[in-house]
Amino acid sequence: MLDKTRTLLLLGAWLFLPLASWSLPSPPIKGLTFPVTQYTLRNGLEVIIAEDESLPLVSVVIAYRAGALQERPGQMGLAYLVENLMFQGSENISPMQHINYINRIGGELNAITAFDRTIFYQTVSSNQLALALWLESDRMKSLSLTSASVERVKESLVSELRQRRTSDPYMESLFLFEQLLFPDFAYGHPLIGTEEDIKKISEEDVKSFYATYYVPNNAILCLAGRVDVDKARDLVSRYFETIPRGNDIPAAGQQPKLPPRGGVTEALTDSLAPAPAFHLGYRFSPLQTGDYYGLKILDYLLLRGKSCRLYKRLVKKERIAIYLSGGLDERKDRMALKIFAVNNNEMMAERCQKAVLSEITKLKTAYVPEEELSRAKNMFKADYLHRVSTCLEKALFLCDASISGIGPAGLSAEFDKYMKVTPASLIGVINRHFTPERTVILNVQKK
Amino acid sequence: MMGRRTSGAFLTALYCAAALFVCWEKAAGQERFRRSAPYPGPLAELRLPDIQNVTLSNGLKVAVAQKPDSAFVSVQLVVLAGERDCPDNVPGAAAATASLLSRGTPALSSSDIEERIEAIGADFSSRVFLDYTIFIMDVLEDNLDQALEILSLMTLQADFSDRELEGLKRTSYYELLEKGKDPEFVARAHLARLLFQGHPYQKGVYTEEVIRNITRKDIQAFYGRFYRPNNALIILGGNLNLTTASRKISHYFNTWTPRPVERDLLPEQKPNDKDVICVIDLPQARDATIYAGNLIMPLSSPDYFPFLVLNQALGGTTSSRLFMNLRESKGYAYYAFSETEFFKSCGLYWAKARVTPSAVYSAVQEILKDIRDLAVEKISSFEIEQAKSFLIGNFPLKNESLHALCYRLSLIRAFGLGDEHWNEFYDTIMLVNVDRGFETAQKYLLPKPIVVIVGDRNAVADYLKDFDRVDVYDAKGKMRFTMMKGVEK
Repeated sequence: MLDKTRTLLLLGAWLFLPLASWSLPSPPIKGLTFPVTQYTLRNGLEVIIAEDESLPLVSVVIAYRAGALQERPGQMGLAYLVENLMFQGSENISPMQHINYINRIGGELNAITAFDRTIFYQTVSSNQLALALWLESDRMKSLSLTSASVERVKESLVSELRQRRTSDPYMESLFLFEQLLFPDFAYGHPLIGTEEDIKKISEEDVKSFYATYYVPNNAILCLAGRVDVDKARDLVSRYFETIPRGNDIPAAGQQPKLPPRGGVTEALTDSLAPAPAFHLGYRFSPLQTGDYYGLKILDYLLLRGKSCRLYKRLVKKERIAIYLSGGLDERKDRMALKIFAVNNNEMMAERCQKAVLSEITKLKTAYVPEEELSRAKNMFKADYLHRVSTCLEKALFLCDASISGIGPAGLSAEFDKYMKVTPASLIGVINRHFTPERTVILNVQKK
Repeated sequence: MMGRRTSGAFLTALYCAAALFVCWEKAAGQERFRRSAPYPGPLAELRLPDIQNVTLSNGLKVAVAQKPDSAFVSVQLVVLAGERDCPDNVPGAAAATASLLSRGTPALSSSDIEERIEAIGADFSSRVFLDYTIFIMDVLEDNLDQALEILSLMTLQADFSDRELEGLKRTSYYELLEKGKDPEFVARAHLARLLFQGHPYQKGVYTEEVIRNITRKDIQAFYGRFYRPNNALIILGGNLNLTTASRKISHYFNTWTPRPVERDLLPEQKPNDKDVICVIDLPQARDATIYAGNLIMPLSSPDYFPFLVLNQALGGTTSSRLFMNLRESKGYAYYAFSETEFFKSCGLYWAKARVTPSAVYSAVQEILKDIRDLAVEKISSFEIEQAKSFLIGNFPLKNESLHALCYRLSLIRAFGLGDEHWNEFYDTIMLVNVDRGFETAQKYLLPKPIVVIVGDRNAVADYLKDFDRVDVYDAKGKMRFTMMKGVEK
């Protein structure tokens, strides 16, 4: 009997060990494992429901795969205009009533227009889920688009634009820099549009954009919070199932490849700039598998926090920058790293620029110390987990995961990939992408 | 048989009617349920984590809110000393002490501390209130020990170096200078300055000049007097229980030595009941910013909850009275809201609006009327229910993140409040009715509020003639002169 038991134990150990040695899965990441239900309605609407019992709240997020990338030349600002029009009423809801309904019950709401998506979101008491779905479904189904409402919103956007252009220092330079960084029209034009284009946008342009992209088969609906999944499914079905599917979404045209051009250095005089400054960036396209994760960690290493490389050297140690910001700018399949520094005078600006370039050069040849890499990863980890720390963050994150193709189930595996970035892989990424041909510099002079 | 036939006919008729209804609906273009807002479901239960408490041998109180699913831990150190505890001649000492805590120990520079915090992916912040000061470290659960070590080094070994103090004075000076350009900040500060005249809370209002006079000795004295474990508490929220939390806190804070701490008693402050209209001259201000407010009850008062409901009805959202009246109906204001702030011995409420200079007089009259109306005429039960619905819906949203949840707990513990501010919030708000609201309004909204108008004197001067008396101050709160019916005296 004893021998038999021992044999079984040994057999077990023998069976277990080889398995453990080559396929030990990473431990689940706390916070990233939560129940998710995912399905698609007959009209093509993707639905994600994430249960979170902690508080009687639910966030309702709708992401439409429509943004500035879908705008044509002469239509800059159209996506942002439609986002604003989504608050101007629909068949059963008067203008601005969406906001009032949510405000009255203590909820919060907002919207975001980005390059490849427009997102509408609200967080309400979980017993008000039906209200949020009713509001969102009504504007998906039957937005009121009249020439009066279009003109009114256009006017307010133009006034916002004028106000920003006369009060935001460095805004003009940022727009120009982004055009230099993303030379294709679709990727490089300003999200908020231009006064000239906004004025030209017609009611028909708006209606056509809405009818093409604000359809269930181009959207993701995500609910996160204290919900009963069956009841939530019933409500989603009630409000969204009968909204007709739209036409097939036009495939994004063949995007022209980045023109094979060398580095760019230009200058601009900004009448609002209180001090000289510069924008410095690198374009990354196309990316090799895995490069994305290295670039993301590099963003933290160079630019996040007050102990990152550039802040430490430029602001704290050498005091050649009075302001520093930047980070990765992701625009669907295009990506760039942007750095912006404000300096006391032209001489400082020049020194500062040289210092940035020398830090990049250093990264090409010397391994990043483990301690520094660990700091960057810890900051990244905290940010990543913060993205699931509230119902709204979670719903936005799940929509993002769905749009990017990772999917809700892939969040943990995706996280591991960032954690596996090594000093050696970083050197590879930097040498591949931080080349003079990919460098764009825009010097901003004070008038 | 007959019966069955009748029944069949009935069903056929019913089907026909249903089919007709569906056709009609389709013709009308939408289903019936889309025409009006759905009713809410039953209110779901609010379950905040239970709070466990322990006091360590050095008097340091520890409270834990266990959240097993959280990947983070929020550590919030509360020191029961705030702006009101500053010596009379050194207002600003509390803020300077709090800021310098993270700016170096004998062994670690300010930069070293910053690096150690970021190395573990933590966020650190501090905030000084009138009654207490709070230091917050939000950190990944795995790095809690390192976070506590840094927090204890800062708290127990801060060296308040002259170099750091000079740097702090420079940055604080420019920060306050910058804030002095914000009409809302200026109006709120002036309102508090007048309402807290002669009260220790007035020390919370100071200008950038005061910062220059703070010395290292002042900071050390403030720290030595108030930064004691028996005058502090630590709140922890996250995946840890009381045993683990108290073991860890004890490990990192057991060398913190207690000493009796005496705080000055807070005298009772009477609300204003005179007609007071002030204008603060803020050159270049395009619009006029109006604040009208008065003293109210402290957070611990049972009147707090009905007042919250009243404030909501008065100016909590864009569908409240002030916004609907001043912006939507009269068109005087860009915005009009009301807010509250609560302290240990009292609270403050204020209505605020930004208006065009030409609308100043009328807007002030409307604000005062909206405030008074609540105290002379019972608010409708519809408005009461709407305000309650907002507060109930908003409460979990405002306390959703771990950081916010522990922040609320810190406030509750700092003020020694009961469970009605925690798990019983819904029930307590539910109890507020028309009569309770009216009784509270009569008690607190009948006394005349002080009115502060911030704007460019040249732009608003012509529109002040209708006020009998206006006291004109400069942006730092110094009285310049009085205007009677628009004429300078």
